[in-house]
Amino acid sequence: MIDADSTHLWMHFWAIATAATVSAGCALVGSFLVVRRLSLLGDAISHAVLPGIVLAVLAGGRPGGAGVFLGAVVAGLVTVWLTNLLGTHAGLAEDAGAGVAFTTLFAIGVVLVSALASRVDIDPGCVLYGILELVPFDTVPILGLEVPRALLAAATVLVVLVIGAVVCWKELVFTAFDPAAARAAGLPVGVITAGLLVATSLATVASFEAVGAILVVAMLAVPAAAAELLVRRFHLMLVVAVGLGVAGSILGYLAAWRFNTNAAGMIAVVLGIEYVVAALVAPGDGIVARVVSRESLRWRVACEDRLASLWRAEEGDAAALAPRTLLDRLAQARLVFWGRIVPGRAGGLTDIGREEARVIVRSHRLWEAWLGRHVALPLDHLHPPAEWIEHHLGAEVRGRIAADLEGHEGDPHGRDIPSEEFPPRSADEPAR
Amino acid sequence: MTMSTTSAGLEFHDVTVAYGRRPVLWNVDLTVPGACLFGIIGPNGAGKSTLLKAALGLVPLAGGEVRILGAPLEQVRARVGYVPQRESVDWDFPVTVTDVVLMGTYARLGWLRRPGPRERSLAAECLDRVGLADVADRQIGRLSGGQQQRVFLARALAQQADVYFLDEPMAGVDARSQERIFRVLAELRAEGRLVVMVHHDLRSAGDWFDAVALIDMRLVAAGPVAEVLTPENLRRTYAGRLDLLDEIGRAVAEGGRTP
Repeated sequence: MIDADSTHLWMHFWAIATAATVSAGCALVGSFLVVRRLSLLGDAISHAVLPGIVLAVLAGGRPGGAGVFLGAVVAGLVTVWLTNLLGTHAGLAEDAGAGVAFTTLFAIGVVLVSALASRVDIDPGCVLYGILELVPFDTVPILGLEVPRALLAAATVLVVLVIGAVVCWKELVFTAFDPAAARAAGLPVGVITAGLLVATSLATVASFEAVGAILVVAMLAVPAAAAELLVRRFHLMLVVAVGLGVAGSILGYLAAWRFNTNAAGMIAVVLGIEYVVAALVAPGDGIVARVVSRESLRWRVACEDRLASLWRAEEGDAAALAPRTLLDRLAQARLVFWGRIVPGRAGGLTDIGREEARVIVRSHRLWEAWLGRHVALPLDHLHPPAEWIEHHLGAEVRGRIAADLEGHEGDPHGRDIPSEEFPPRSADEPAR
Repeated sequence: MTMSTTSAGLEFHDVTVAYGRRPVLWNVDLTVPGACLFGIIGPNGAGKSTLLKAALGLVPLAGGEVRILGAPLEQVRARVGYVPQRESVDWDFPVTVTDVVLMGTYARLGWLRRPGPRERSLAAECLDRVGLADVADRQIGRLSGGQQQRVFLARALAQQADVYFLDEPMAGVDARSQERIFRVLAELRAEGRLVVMVHHDLRSAGDWFDAVALIDMRLVAAGPVAEVLTPENLRRTYAGRLDLLDEIGRAVAEGGRTP
């Protein structure tokens, strides 16, 4: 699939570099927006910069030039100001206010573009979807190298954003976490928040040409949201978000090249896939982690129930239940394999299996006895809770329960509670 | 009650606070001596938190003046610590307990300087003081409510302030945390600092505070606990909404006139 022509390879390289640079800047800003629950504002600003860009071009600004950046930043701030205005004076909820402000501004931009099509060289289509594939054709010479203008703009913005984040790191984090306390401590919270919004406008404008208004939202929000699932420290979240953004841009571009489709769209799709994978594999709260934890508990409970049932059979109270379900049979096989149960049909407990089974039955009966003493429960209601809690009691808590029951030997059903150690230690023997 | 004769810790001079145009706290005139444990008590919606925020400059004053340690807030901000309500922040924020406590040192550090070994050992010390040394590296979302409240207190301690404002630090907090928090606050007072705290539980007020203010949209009474928490004052604070202030407030907000 790879084109042998080296000029073409250079074209792809420049396009990928532009996408990755744009994405890194968006992920950086997006991380702050995501933890401040302001992703929607990023969405709003990214749309609302359009009229600013159009007016700046109309006033003689070159696409991608400083004037256009200024126009976009002003438009972004106007959105935020309008949102607040609608909130405080028209009594509109913040999300509704943002919805009204940015759609109106974006619409004004669309109207301006079509009405002034003859005087403004902006294509509404590429405003929405970007033209990553055409980025390498508009270059400026730097040190003898023809560098795409869009890449130059994106790289400049990225450098500004990184410097801003490094210089204002403490202030940004404190303000994001607890604005009231930050203000009380004397930090310039208003300036910091305004700075974040200017940064959002900058990142958005730098991305416009490459990915368009709709997909820049994906670059702002998705890598940051995925990173938030994966790590628990904010500075790591930034690094992971930027990494995911850059990786998504490269993979998305390559996939678009391979399948011959829109590159910006494919990048957003890959970012979405990254988020789904993050939600699956996130440590602790991830879907895979939760399934594994639930299933391993089920598995442990089945094994322990099996051991306890054999122990009760040996005690002579009841016949051992034959394994019935598939899980029971698997548990039985595992216990035989690990030497807890004697192989064969009659299959009694081995010494080590008996040791473990005793502890489980001890937990069960201790809990029944404790419930019987401290909780108003009828005698025939004690078994089910004990059947559940027996799998979760450790040695220390068992000792505390036993101490609490001192002098009340036996469980409420009149059976002996097995000792913690075996053989039971005599009174004059020191503890192990 | 220890009366500092030199200078008052906190003074409100005829302070009125309004949201929009509507006054929610009327003409509070209150002087709190230095080095004491001071409780602000009143029913829901009485404006207790608002009074605290007015002192901290977090809400604009519609009238009047606040002085802390005898000076305007701007001059003494570095000497003022704040413990906001626990619900005011998002506890899923990706930071550890130590990260949050270190925030208390940020304002003093100034721009561009990062917390160093000195700040870290101070943070560890503050965490130890509130009994959280063993969860220093945990993500804040994994703490209990009482532990979260103590993290906030540790952050304020790391600020090494002379005046502390706490907004309902006992709300939704377990008994062990409550006791720990009060012990630390009593230590702060013993070190000669002023602690001003919004509190909602009348029963425990007498055990802990040196002095209290009863608030219900206006100051009802202030002074030593025994003098202030009288049946008559409590009736005036809790007996019913102040329909008069409510009605006038609404008229002010609407730019109209009361019936």
